[in-house]
Amino acid sequence: MAATGLKQLSNALATPDQLSNSSSSIDGVPSDLETSIRVAGAQLTQTAGVLLGLSQDIIAQAIVIFTRFWLGADGGSLRIYSAKDVSAASLYLTAKLSFQPTSPRSVLNVYTLLLSQDASPLWFVNPRGAPAQPPAPEKYLLTEGGYQSARLTLLRIESVILRTLGFDTHVALPHTIAWTYLQTLGVARPAVARGVVKHLNAALLSPQLLYVTHQPNALAVAAIYLAAREEGVKLVDGNWWEVFDVDREELGFLVVGMRSLEGYLRRERQLWQTQAIPMVLEDVDSEIERRRMMDEGE
Amino acid sequence: MSASKSRWADEDPETEAIIAQQKREKEEKKRAKAEKQRQLDEAKRAQDTAQTDNSAQAPNGDSGPPKKRRRLSNDPDATADDEVPGSEKQAQKKPSTLLRFPVREWGTCRHVDNYERLNHIEEGSYGWVSRAKDINTGEIVALKKLKIENSPDGFPVTGLREIQTLLEARHQNVVYLREVVMGNKMDDVFLVMDFLEHDLKALLDEMREPFLPSEIKTLLLQVVGGLDFLHSQWIMHRDLKTSNLLMNNRGEVKIADFGMARYYGDPPPKMTQLVVTLWYRAPELLLGADKYGTEIDMWSIGCIFGELLTKEPLLQGKNEVDQVSKIFELTGPPNSQIWPGFRSLPNAKSLKIPSNSSSLSGSLPLLPRSRFPYLTNAGLGLISELLALNPASRPTTKQCLAHSYFREDPRPKPKEMFPTFPSKAGMEKRRRHHTPEAPKRGQEAPELDFAGVFGGAPGGDSGEAGAGFTLRLG
Repeated sequence: MAATGLKQLSNALATPDQLSNSSSSIDGVPSDLETSIRVAGAQLTQTAGVLLGLSQDIIAQAIVIFTRFWLGADGGSLRIYSAKDVSAASLYLTAKLSFQPTSPRSVLNVYTLLLSQDASPLWFVNPRGAPAQPPAPEKYLLTEGGYQSARLTLLRIESVILRTLGFDTHVALPHTIAWTYLQTLGVARPAVARGVVKHLNAALLSPQLLYVTHQPNALAVAAIYLAAREEGVKLVDGNWWEVFDVDREELGFLVVGMRSLEGYLRRERQLWQTQAIPMVLEDVDSEIERRRMMDEGE
Repeated sequence: MSASKSRWADEDPETEAIIAQQKREKEEKKRAKAEKQRQLDEAKRAQDTAQTDNSAQAPNGDSGPPKKRRRLSNDPDATADDEVPGSEKQAQKKPSTLLRFPVREWGTCRHVDNYERLNHIEEGSYGWVSRAKDINTGEIVALKKLKIENSPDGFPVTGLREIQTLLEARHQNVVYLREVVMGNKMDDVFLVMDFLEHDLKALLDEMREPFLPSEIKTLLLQVVGGLDFLHSQWIMHRDLKTSNLLMNNRGEVKIADFGMARYYGDPPPKMTQLVVTLWYRAPELLLGADKYGTEIDMWSIGCIFGELLTKEPLLQGKNEVDQVSKIFELTGPPNSQIWPGFRSLPNAKSLKIPSNSSSLSGSLPLLPRSRFPYLTNAGLGLISELLALNPASRPTTKQCLAHSYFREDPRPKPKEMFPTFPSKAGMEKRRRHHTPEAPKRGQEAPELDFAGVFGGAPGGDSGEAGAGFTLRLG
């Protein structure tokens, strides 16, 4: 009975096998490139969710589904599926199951804008940066024909995701858990609460896949620890995290993981200063080809 | 994880590829080493377990904890090294024991060819069900094919919700979804569930006498127990009826067919009124309420209770209008005392309620005793509460389970003492149900004219039935 009660608060986690082998790496995608694309895909999902007016819990669940999809030898490969399609389908699927469903057309309109080389505000799609002037609508127009074929792709990838994940769409989020923990700890400072949410949302983008390797309660505890620290709020003495079933080692790892995110993203931005991160199949292929050529040249 | 972590060290895009290459080679070596270590460890562990007694064995007794620990660490080498001994040491050293979450994983769908189809059981509005055998284990299962052809919005949300809620609803009185398997086409999706020999509808049809009162209590307690769990998980079933209640030969009842089930919230999200098979549909749905809650499931429980008592479906309306008149015939017409606010429901406008009905007492009226001659007062009280017109008057699952009806004699019969019945589903016989089906998704909610409910001319064939309720006054 205890185990069933906990199901709503816990997640399926990646197995060691799923973490060490990915379908993309088997298909020859360098793992740093894979990570770059996955992190960018998570950011793409987040941005699209905001533009679609979806609430953050739906967006966060979509990002977790997106992340799970690429893991393991049975997962999706970047040589077969475009990151942008999987991102769109994850968001569409999660919204469909939520109280805030959205239409294929809305999703595809938003993704057309976000992936437009000229109009996109995303640094990894449009390295020149968001256009200062509002872009001309022609730059991100989804034609009727384009919509029809994109819709078919969206629905096909939705099925692929479901198949790959064995139809398990359950994602428990740490946000509400963190809220309860904060109250339990007697922390009432809004700045801490804001910090917690900030860290939890940022951790969705983690290259270390924190959301698929740790249970929500651990993520919540780590975010509280960090936020309290940053705000200079003293929490109770003693190993309070153990009350929430997190041991020191796990907490330490998560805190380091969450803190390293900022540096990682900064480096990524530098690394991809002049070039977009490939979110489409053909671009992944040409990036791998480019790297191969450079290797041979040296 | 080790891969993604090491990636931070790479600063230079030029040499990245080379480093990655080296990394890969190194990792391969590492993996080989880890593999060797693991084998060593395994041998050691085997020794350990042989030497130490039960207490030391406990922490790694099941595969859960070690698996999880492995995940916490970055370095496969270190993990392999101290994985098992570490967790044991920790368990001994630390006085505080931390709760371990159930370790679940995900994986791709298997193929339906892992099952051999035996015979057809039934066809519902959301798919075909057949009996099948697991080729590997020989176990008998029920295989339900989801209907997903020509869905404009991709994978139908009803099917997704059915899977999602069933995966969530692990309870002894809810049918167990083992896995989801795929066929050759993208559209072939099958749910693999535990096979149960009977459904209550078919059983009631076959029986010469209804269940004994003690048996009815056992059945009802199980159904309400299962529903209590569902409601506690924020799941509404929305299609409870006897043909969706499965029973095995050990007297166990399980709620099945989650094709209409969905999560709800507080406040409730917008939901379609086109739910629940007509005969089991609550009056607020029939009157077009766009906000409703778990009370609609409680109404269905009342209908099921009545059906168990009499062996016949309680309210067999021919259409929505007839259903409403059948309901009022049983319960008496609504008035603003027993059901404040029902007047403002969309379909209530056309309802012409006889003027003398308001003279009825304001407290919750009992259903006519003549309909359930063998029921005790407590039993009549329970069914009257469940079939209260006002949703707010119906008991919750918890209140229902605590009802005095279940504690008075005759006591609920132990499940083990239940009689067994020949299984229709298991005997290559196709069942035919006379229950209408649940409404189809995407249908328009009909505009209903209830002017005829109380014997007026329009509204169809309700003339005879409409007069029925006046008999009650006499």
